[in-house]
Amino acid sequence: MANSKKYWKGLEQLNEAPQFLEASKNEFPEEIPVDEFLGDKNSLESSSTTRRDFLKYLGFGVAAASLASCESPVTKAIPYLNKPEEITPGKANYYASTYFDGNDYAPILVKTREGRPIHIVGNTQSSLTKGAVNARVNSSVLSLYDGNRLKEPMINAVASDWATIDAAIIKDLQNSTNIKILSSTIISPSFTTIISEFIGKKELDEKGNIRGYNASNWVRYDAISYSGIIEANVESFGQNLCIPTYNFKKAKTIVSVGADFMGNWLDALMYVNDYAQTRKPENDWMSKHFQFEANMSLSGSNADVRTPVKPSEYGAIVAGIYKAIGGNINAPKTAYDNQIKKVAKALLATKGESIVICGSNDKNVQVLVNAINNLLGNYGNTISFDKSSNTKLGLDSRVAELVADMNAGKVDAILIYGIDPVFTMGDEFKAALGKVKTTISFASKMNDTAAACKYVCPTHHQLESWSDANPVTGYYSLGQPTISPLFNTRQAEESILVWAGNKTTYYDYIKQFWEKFIFPQQSASLFFTDFWNKSLESGVVEIPLNPIISVENFVFNGDVAKAVSAIAAIKGGELEIELTQNIAIGDGVGADNPWLQELPDPITKITWDNYVTMNPSEMEAKGYNTHFGQEEAMNVVNVTVNGKTVNNLPVIAQPGQAKGTIGLALGYGKKVGNIAELVGKNAYPLVASTKDGISYYGAATLTNVETTEPYHIACTQVQHTIMGREAIVRETTIDVYKEGNKEEFNPTPVIEVSEGGKLVEKELKAFNLWGDQPVENIGHRWGMSIDLNTCTGCSACVTSCIAENNIAVIGKDEVRRARTMHWMRIDRYYASTYQNVGDIEGTLEKTKEATGKGTTFSYQEMESPADNPMVIHQPMMCQHCNHAGCETVCPVAATTHSNEGLNMMAYNRCIGTRYCANNCAYKVRRFNWYNYTAYKLFTDFNPSQDDLGRMVLNPDVVVRTRGVMEKCSLCVQRIQAGKLEAKKAGSKVVDGSIQTACSSSCPTNAITFGDLNDTKSSVRLNMENDRAFRVIEEKGQEPNIYYQTKVRNLTTEEA
Amino acid sequence: MHKEAAIREPLILGDDVTYSKITNDVLHAIEHEPTKLWKVLMTIATIVAIWGVCSILYLIGVGIGTWGLNNTMGWAWDITNFVWWVGIGHAGTLISAVLLLFRQKWRMAINRPAEAMTIFAVFMAGTFPMIHMGRIWMSYWVFPLPNQFGSLWVNFNSPLLWDVFAISTYLSVSLVFWYIGLIPDFATIRDRAKKPVPKLMYALLSFGWTGNAKAWQRFEEVSLVLAGLATPLVFSVHSIVSMDFATSIVPGWHSTIFPPYFVAGAVFSGFAMVQTLMLIARKAMRLEYIITVKHIEYMNLVIIVTGGIVGVAYATEFFIGWYTGVKYESYVYMSAGAATGPYAWAFWSLIFCNFITPATLWFKKVRTSLVLTFIISIIINIGMWFERFDIIVTCLSRDYLPSTWRMFFPTFVDLGVYIGTLGIFSVFYLLFLKYFPVLAFNEVKTILKSSGEKYKNMSDEEFKALHPVFKKDIK
Repeated sequence: MANSKKYWKGLEQLNEAPQFLEASKNEFPEEIPVDEFLGDKNSLESSSTTRRDFLKYLGFGVAAASLASCESPVTKAIPYLNKPEEITPGKANYYASTYFDGNDYAPILVKTREGRPIHIVGNTQSSLTKGAVNARVNSSVLSLYDGNRLKEPMINAVASDWATIDAAIIKDLQNSTNIKILSSTIISPSFTTIISEFIGKKELDEKGNIRGYNASNWVRYDAISYSGIIEANVESFGQNLCIPTYNFKKAKTIVSVGADFMGNWLDALMYVNDYAQTRKPENDWMSKHFQFEANMSLSGSNADVRTPVKPSEYGAIVAGIYKAIGGNINAPKTAYDNQIKKVAKALLATKGESIVICGSNDKNVQVLVNAINNLLGNYGNTISFDKSSNTKLGLDSRVAELVADMNAGKVDAILIYGIDPVFTMGDEFKAALGKVKTTISFASKMNDTAAACKYVCPTHHQLESWSDANPVTGYYSLGQPTISPLFNTRQAEESILVWAGNKTTYYDYIKQFWEKFIFPQQSASLFFTDFWNKSLESGVVEIPLNPIISVENFVFNGDVAKAVSAIAAIKGGELEIELTQNIAIGDGVGADNPWLQELPDPITKITWDNYVTMNPSEMEAKGYNTHFGQEEAMNVVNVTVNGKTVNNLPVIAQPGQAKGTIGLALGYGKKVGNIAELVGKNAYPLVASTKDGISYYGAATLTNVETTEPYHIACTQVQHTIMGREAIVRETTIDVYKEGNKEEFNPTPVIEVSEGGKLVEKELKAFNLWGDQPVENIGHRWGMSIDLNTCTGCSACVTSCIAENNIAVIGKDEVRRARTMHWMRIDRYYASTYQNVGDIEGTLEKTKEATGKGTTFSYQEMESPADNPMVIHQPMMCQHCNHAGCETVCPVAATTHSNEGLNMMAYNRCIGTRYCANNCAYKVRRFNWYNYTAYKLFTDFNPSQDDLGRMVLNPDVVVRTRGVMEKCSLCVQRIQAGKLEAKKAGSKVVDGSIQTACSSSCPTNAITFGDLNDTKSSVRLNMENDRAFRVIEEKGQEPNIYYQTKVRNLTTEEA
Repeated sequence: MHKEAAIREPLILGDDVTYSKITNDVLHAIEHEPTKLWKVLMTIATIVAIWGVCSILYLIGVGIGTWGLNNTMGWAWDITNFVWWVGIGHAGTLISAVLLLFRQKWRMAINRPAEAMTIFAVFMAGTFPMIHMGRIWMSYWVFPLPNQFGSLWVNFNSPLLWDVFAISTYLSVSLVFWYIGLIPDFATIRDRAKKPVPKLMYALLSFGWTGNAKAWQRFEEVSLVLAGLATPLVFSVHSIVSMDFATSIVPGWHSTIFPPYFVAGAVFSGFAMVQTLMLIARKAMRLEYIITVKHIEYMNLVIIVTGGIVGVAYATEFFIGWYTGVKYESYVYMSAGAATGPYAWAFWSLIFCNFITPATLWFKKVRTSLVLTFIISIIINIGMWFERFDIIVTCLSRDYLPSTWRMFFPTFVDLGVYIGTLGIFSVFYLLFLKYFPVLAFNEVKTILKSSGEKYKNMSDEEFKALHPVFKKDIK
């Protein structure tokens, strides 16, 4: 039907008023004289538009059009109309906050720029963590800007709004009699109170709102269970105890049986800094670290003595140690008597100053561990229950009970917070969940559990939330939001408050809570407001408490005999699997974070995948490929444990893996998620859940899988040994170091020349082709010192650098092709049998001796790591050479030396010949092979490709374009900012006031940054230290990065 | 007084060779429709060239990531191809300039096609430093141009910058030298041309050459001057190219032997390429009587000498690798790096192609055999490609820090660009064969001894019948 409606411009038109008709005729005030110049043919023909004119106009037109199209896009910067008081554009604000994800606890400082959190470092005011963070903590800022976060509450997977969902939930909950809360361990005291109020009250209030429910119950569930320790502690000491705190600072002997206490075990972040302080050889004593383990863990790689054992033998080893230190038991026999004897000797020599820990989740084993620590007198000295840790409170038995209840249909409603049990417990839990009528998830991102829940009430990201924490008795910290909520989400605390009918906002609640409970405990502030502001500013509040248990009451009551007999009954398999967490992904918390997926594992250096680790010699026996190269096809297997199978896992060679064992990381292969669903396989089904609790090892069988497509892994380091090149990494043993002869353990590089027929050793400087850089002793000379003794390889610096310097994520395939963009990497070297060989002739002789063959020119033996290799971690970034190879060869002088000793990179000038990268002896330069911020290959995972992800970019650092070289700048933007601060203050730059991203996030302070020309700076002191060396110094490149020789707490014979 | 070395064989064979025959034969291709063979070859070459151009466009459009390079290996096939093509581009100028100075008349039969090959090869070579840049659109920054960017200037310390000057100088001098030589020949074509368009084209190209004695005298002088200019360039270009490597600190690159080694290698590969092309051209264009077995043998002799130098250089590198005791270099040369490692196949290919195969040329039978020479010349070309591949890829793949050791795996774009440049080169060369005088026939005529030889070999009777007045005086 044709549209016959007519619209008038006004009444005038409708009425056809004469004025209107007149005016409409004169709409164009002047007649356009078309006829005048087109109508008359003669005049047109006689007009004088010549060919030249035509070409002129054509030329101008083309030029103008092309110029117009060349215009670069204008990015608008809009000034504040009303500038918020605390925000100065271009200036960062730092807020103290708290990170806790159910696993890692860290008081943090959040750097915000123009209202956006962009970087996280540790809060050094905390005496628990002393500023330690790990890669997962500082990468969590990216998760805030994850476009796949839930943007709306959902009912049955349909987006809803809070009013609707609240009404629906309240109605459902009203109709439920048995409501359960299943959560991760919650360390927030205020949240705990909220939940207990929610659980405890049952009446309706006078207005008919819900005030709580009868017989509700709260089950805590840790994805990685430590329930064995809690139960053992309860049994051993007869009190309602949980997890003690360990004081590694005082521990002269550390024995860890399968506990990766520097990586993921318990409160690793509270241990690492203390541990590192005992690892400095300059001190009076250096701790001795023994590690028994199956997989090569981060802790194992740092141990002085590492013994590969099967996970089923952990109990026997603990029993053996107990017996060897004087315990009266019949310890089962093990093959490790020698090592156990050494351990016992060291433990007995340091009674009360040692720590023995075990990673087993078996209560019996932990009872024996307690017995050992008790016998050594460690309780009250290095291990304390006065300050007990609240970070792991899950009990396997209660979780099993809950699942049984759910299956029996006894649960009407369940609220799930902070965990993803469908992912970690599998179909069993999903089936049980199906029997619960009202299921509520607080997941901030869609996950396997949320997908199975009726209601999804997305909670804020931590950086959008208020929170508090009580990780250890007497220690509190506060978390404050650093950005307004990005989406229509609501904090779980607030949701529960609403459902409980409490009208207070969570912010008010937390304040009231602190006023009521924490403020009275302290005496420093008179008024609560003052206390609150101070606490918020510093982030942490530490109030020493009286001991919970008096020494007299502290008696070990564990049934050792029963434990030993239970241990003796443990049967090992021919092939055992140990399930672990890796550093980047943890229990799965990092699986959706591209920074973490791309973070090379500190040990295997593999990214974007989980895999079966196996001892190379066993792999060779099975005919598996032990190489890591970019085009190597890995063997693929199915792993079966307890009748459950995980399919299509690649097998990779892990030197030091105990023979007869394989390792596999948990946390990968989520079914729901952004990138997580593409990466790796879920290994949680292999976790054995028995009536005694959960165990992370078991007998495994491998089935080979024939693959049509080659299975590649993305590994960032494919050659693992140092090839006898001690100029790269220096290490020595404690006895050599203590003799104090620097030339013995850290020889000055010299060159031998023939003078007058004699060989003379000359210092490198004599051969310098270059004049000295004018930076020495003039102005600043920025430099860095990295202590290889305290560097654990944890990789927090790598992710910190990624966040600070806007480093592109390039995905598995490009990492595989050795194009990682990380400015900072950590080289991990395994010792080969021929590690400590000096000159080349010696190497060849040793090789000949070892192989019995005349392999004069073969280095192949040096290329393969030893069976149980010592490991060294070496952070490697631009060395800022004073005589830099890269600077001379750039044809356009895009990389030059600053007068402060920095090797600078002018991206705008770079034309991308990559000559600098070739001529860099350290291979730290990174080329932009593609346009990572736009090219389609990277859309799926590079955060810089969507508007939300771009919010994490540091505005002080330019995002590099395709075809230019980039590299570590020593965080020149921070140096400039620090210098400006000093200038404003009218003082010199104070040592330590400028920190690079890596040095600020190093949990063990292994990285020191500062001015080498400042004779009192700590970096200068490190530079002048006996242990200081520079990598391949003999090449004369004069790097400004110094390393400290690694000293192992071993005697030369032991080594 | 005419003295003649009795043992010296004539450079142009055949009794019936006359000046006009030479002109006709050389210009046959220009003055006739292209042959079927030429059309077939041209079609193939064009297809390959288009493939190459597409690969290059894809590379420029998407990024260097489409090549197989990585953080450890900033260069691989790109610079391999670059050095390979530059090396090939050495023979032409050496033949025309150095041999001119040494008055080696045999060069006249081959200098034109060799120079053409040089020019085209240097074009191809020049492509690679351009397209290997991450930002080719900024490539003009390598020239010391006045600019508005402030006080930005090029870095005169960088061997890459030296390369820019060396290659551009070499290209321009070679081009001028080649063109000057072409002028008299273009004039001849112009004079013989019947159709107006070709006549005009060649008239323009020949710059109004009249062929008078003064013009020839100046031509000779200019040739000599340019030869003098070009000769040092022959040595400088590849010396400078070698400094891309020699002045760096990469173990295996950092080597003082590189300049002479590279120059010898370049001449070696250049002559091999001349052989390959010449053996096809002389057959296809029926110029066997001008480009004779003698020429082939002479060039083989050059190959023996330069191949020998290259062989000694290999041995020296290995010796120094061992003798200095520098473990980085030693590793690269003597162990898993080159000889027994992942790149052993490339290393042994190189030894086979560049050392063992050319050694057979010591036998006269081999070096005068056209078939064997052809095969050997191709093997040498392959070998010289492997030499550059070995130097660049093996050394980079195994440098200082073992943590960064990596392998190089080429992609289809790597392959496309390389094969593509062969196609583009072939297109140029085929066009040259069709539209340019393939031999410097005006110069060749100066060494034609048809009359002299004929008289020399005449019996007295024949002579008398021809010239009743004169006496045949052999003495």
